[in-house]
Amino acid sequence: MEIKAIGCEPLQLKRVHLENSHTLKVYQENDGYKWLKKAMEMSPDAIIGEVKASVLRGRGGAGFPTGMKWSFVPKDSPKQKYIVCNADESEPGTFKDRYLMERDPHALIEGMLIAAFALNSQTCYIYTRGEYKYLIDIMDEAVEEARAANLVGKNILGSDFSCEVYTHTGAGAYICGEETALLSSLEGYRGHPRMKPPFPAVEGLYASPTVVNNVETLTAVPQIIEMGGISWRDLGTEKSGGTKLWSVSGHVKKPGVYELPMGYADMERFILEDCGGMLRDDKKLKGVIPGGSSVYIMRANDVIGKKVLMDYEGLVAAGSLVGSGGFIVIDETVDIVDSTKNLTEFYKHESCGWCTPCREGTDWLVKIFNRIAEGNGRPEDAQLILDLCDNIEGKSFCALGDAAAWAIQGAIKRFPEDFKPYLNGQKTTSTEPEARKF
Amino acid sequence: MSTELIKVTINGQEFAVEKGARLIDVCREQAFNIPSFCYYQDLALQASCRMCLVRIEKMPKLQTSCTITCTDGMIVTTQSAEIEKAQRAMGEFLLANHPLDCPVCDRGGECELQEMIFDWGDVEERFVESKNATPEKFLSPIVANDPQRCILCKRCTRVCDEWMGEDAIEAGNRGVNTVIGTYGGWLDCSQCGNCIEVCPTGTLLDGTYRHETRPWELDQTISTDTYSSDGMQLSIGSRGGRVHRIVARDRYVDGLNGEFLDVKARFGHGFVNHEERIKTPLIRYKKGGKLIPTTWDEAIHFVTNKFKESGNNVGVVASPRLTNESIFTLKRFAKEVVGSENYTISDVEDLAPFFNNLSVPLATHKEIRHAKTILLIGGEPEEEQTFTAKQIRQAVRNGGAKLIIVHDTPIRLTAQASQFIHVNPKSLDAFALAFADKSDKTILSKIGAAQSEIDDLLKLIGESEGDFIIMFGRDLSAEAQAVLANVAGNFASEKRRVLLHPLPLYNNSVGANDMMAGRKSLSDVLINSTALLIGGSLSKPSALTDGFLSRKDFIVVQEMFETATTEFADVVLPAASFAETDGTFTNNTGFVQRVRQAVEPVHQAKADWIITSMIAREMGVDFGYNFSAPAAFRTLADSIDAYAGLRYPHLKDESKPVQVKHPIAGKKDLSKETDALRRGVEAMPETNEKIIGTPKVGHKLHRLTTMTSKTAQFHLLAHGNPKPENLLVSPLVQFNLDGTPRVEEKAEAASAGDRISDVKRTAGVTLDGKV
Repeated sequence: MEIKAIGCEPLQLKRVHLENSHTLKVYQENDGYKWLKKAMEMSPDAIIGEVKASVLRGRGGAGFPTGMKWSFVPKDSPKQKYIVCNADESEPGTFKDRYLMERDPHALIEGMLIAAFALNSQTCYIYTRGEYKYLIDIMDEAVEEARAANLVGKNILGSDFSCEVYTHTGAGAYICGEETALLSSLEGYRGHPRMKPPFPAVEGLYASPTVVNNVETLTAVPQIIEMGGISWRDLGTEKSGGTKLWSVSGHVKKPGVYELPMGYADMERFILEDCGGMLRDDKKLKGVIPGGSSVYIMRANDVIGKKVLMDYEGLVAAGSLVGSGGFIVIDETVDIVDSTKNLTEFYKHESCGWCTPCREGTDWLVKIFNRIAEGNGRPEDAQLILDLCDNIEGKSFCALGDAAAWAIQGAIKRFPEDFKPYLNGQKTTSTEPEARKF
Repeated sequence: MSTELIKVTINGQEFAVEKGARLIDVCREQAFNIPSFCYYQDLALQASCRMCLVRIEKMPKLQTSCTITCTDGMIVTTQSAEIEKAQRAMGEFLLANHPLDCPVCDRGGECELQEMIFDWGDVEERFVESKNATPEKFLSPIVANDPQRCILCKRCTRVCDEWMGEDAIEAGNRGVNTVIGTYGGWLDCSQCGNCIEVCPTGTLLDGTYRHETRPWELDQTISTDTYSSDGMQLSIGSRGGRVHRIVARDRYVDGLNGEFLDVKARFGHGFVNHEERIKTPLIRYKKGGKLIPTTWDEAIHFVTNKFKESGNNVGVVASPRLTNESIFTLKRFAKEVVGSENYTISDVEDLAPFFNNLSVPLATHKEIRHAKTILLIGGEPEEEQTFTAKQIRQAVRNGGAKLIIVHDTPIRLTAQASQFIHVNPKSLDAFALAFADKSDKTILSKIGAAQSEIDDLLKLIGESEGDFIIMFGRDLSAEAQAVLANVAGNFASEKRRVLLHPLPLYNNSVGANDMMAGRKSLSDVLINSTALLIGGSLSKPSALTDGFLSRKDFIVVQEMFETATTEFADVVLPAASFAETDGTFTNNTGFVQRVRQAVEPVHQAKADWIITSMIAREMGVDFGYNFSAPAAFRTLADSIDAYAGLRYPHLKDESKPVQVKHPIAGKKDLSKETDALRRGVEAMPETNEKIIGTPKVGHKLHRLTTMTSKTAQFHLLAHGNPKPENLLVSPLVQFNLDGTPRVEEKAEAASAGDRISDVKRTAGVTLDGKV
């Protein structure tokens, strides 16, 4: 398990190697909560200005500019305002937030407090997926420590700024990573997505202005205050500021969490050198899913020798997305039909059932994948699958349906040779179908 | 909604629409058909079926037109290859796991999904895999559920929550496994059946109508509810002289209540074809003897002779459950045939004090829904005026209205109230006095409320704008009603319109009050007459009325069933039920609405007004109706000012009901009534005990009579017979896995017992599937 920064000084990963890095003592020894103090001397508008200047984009997957999201919160609203941290890290292949919360929980708290100060909020929630139970314990301890040090609660650091931080556990639903479904779940309802507009910034939690940010986004905020927005941005590129964590898994020698500056040149080098190269030296790279399961899969020949830049624009140009940075490396032993079937089952299992295309479409797609895996594929199934994906994409209530469609479209368009034998009636050679059943 | 107009372009045509209008409504009004399942007017938006997708310029994706509010200059396309593909795709998705069992589905023929697929769907079926199967079940004895057919539009869960405030039905599980169900056990609710009504597919079905007929084999007759004073419009489904079901589906009827009905209106029709209906005229030749069946000729002749002997000592009592025509004819009988002033109605309250002192107009249900402030004094609308209760709830939930409840019991609606003044038991009169006469502070101790509470209430009213509606019913004395009806006008201002809404108990209480103007009290009539003609049994037989009845020389009762009143009758004449007659009811908002004949009168029954006319004709007076209901109504309308000029054709369209013009009395000197009220209040005992605990509304219900918890609601049949245990609402029983019937109470087991053997056979199929 590698946790390191490549091509830049570690920022997000600055403290994670230290012993007892989760304690307030170690955090404060390493400049912790200094930037909260600095922020509290700034005006809220100036803080938002720095975040805007940093071109920090949401690290949860959608990549929406954080500063802009913050500026949507109506300042004159008489309602309570909320900061919600989305720690429902459920995207297959993604595990960066987990390390941040496990080893650097105070950075998250500091980031939330700065956001709360900038947005005049008195309440923060950290919504963590249920499977991360041990992280909640760590977060709770950290919040208690911070409270004891007058960093959370009433009159923080003797000022008139008061802010509470609460932790909340999800019940294990992927959909609750969607920000409006997260809010429904946080309010105690079924984790169903809500209609947008109104956007959470205007009517979110308890119909009040709410900012929902990913863990990595919030932990970047103290760094931005420390360095200033422009210098933070300059770590990366003009349109994708700062650094980004990548959760590398799959067939590489050194999987782990890597911090790269935005615009890190050449994905090929990243896989074959930084990550230690292919797991088995005799197996070649077949493909990469660079941003979590919901993005288009990339073929090896779109990576090798193509100098793919690892930032928002670079990956779009290469035919995929940064997403959540769940970087899955696939070697030639993998049957893409099989792996796509696995993903489709995931989306079917996690579809909340609210809207027709996602609920029925994913179920139907799983049935088709099962059928072709059993040797009952037909040549026309490829077109059928693409058509169903098209019928889901852009028509579902939230982005879950789109994500399912992209994962499948990418696979079938880019690996037709894997699909071909199945469509002519070949059976799956996968030896572990039982383990895949949800 | 503002009346400002904006421009919207739909499919190249420009329309001026109200600002804030919903796009799907606008498109449908302009006849651009947009399919949808989950969208339902005045319910929370869902946007889950994705059928109503349209293209709006400058928006990246197709948009659900149900969630779009029109903005100025919006350019919309509702028809294009892209949209059609999307709509057909949604239809295809919905059908993927939907069993194509339309030939055995009760909803087949009136199913929105079926209709939509025929209109929009694809001919080719691409789904070749096997469908997910979920076993059939019953959510309650009267709500059957086939989860496979469900398209998860969640109209049912929304009406349960938003209309009824019950939240008894919810979605469980996730994704494609989502099913609609209860929180465990049977549906714990008032069993209104609105979830069945709004269900677009055959998922939720009327358990009492299962597999009875196909919908297209039924004659649909639009008529008016015979239970509640709200005058809900419904459609009677009948076939071969039998009433099979009652619905309010908007494909059949478009009344003031939309698709809303309550448990009585929807399921309480078993009496129409009940085996215990009186089949022929009956005569008791000797006091204390038996009622002997006879012919109409003989019975009318017998009655005529006896009435001629009694002369003008004949009293006439009409039930407020009868049609206007029948009550009016009974009054004419008293005045024109026997020359008696002893005529009355057997209502539990006298509405005359209210209507004689009316200072403002009556509120319609639509006005209640859009009211800004509502003051409810006493009453239990959720039991008795269910549609009014729904409108109140929606006014608060969807319209942001302020609800103030003054009550001695914390009824369920108090959960919706902005202010709840909890008064001492039976002290609402004292509140009425305090409300009318703000100077009197001595009565506060009787009310058991602080002066500040009343001040808050007056402040809230004082600050309110828009419609302010005051509602009260028989929890108040006649004097209190008179005073309140008259002081209501004092609250009107430039910005505030005040409206009144009475809460009478019976379907035609208001009509009866209009028909029987100038009546005497029931006890006066019972005392002063030697013979009686009673149309519809007395509502509340008591020792008092029994004592009077047993001393009369001769009593004729027009009835459907043998009741406590017919025990004293010398002649019983079989009357037709509401489903067998033409006529009108007047509801609590003053709407006069048609009752239509759905089936031929059963056995030898005749409409009440026909029976009365037959006796009159035999006694030498021809009412001139020639047994024509329209003619009877014409005579009625011409002799009652409020109904002047009305004819049946005016009442033809149930979607445009006609409000009768009850005269507004204006400010009156009511010192006499106020004094009487004050004396009554002063005589009230002082108490500090308050009623606590919110009574449930209509839970526990396998039989019609036990449907509601507080009010004897089976009043259509008055008190007494038919024996309640014979009127099972549902013959259906759920079973435990070991084959024993699943029951929550012994009494219910007994009531269901005789049908178990039948049910076992049919339920076995489901059971096997489950096991």
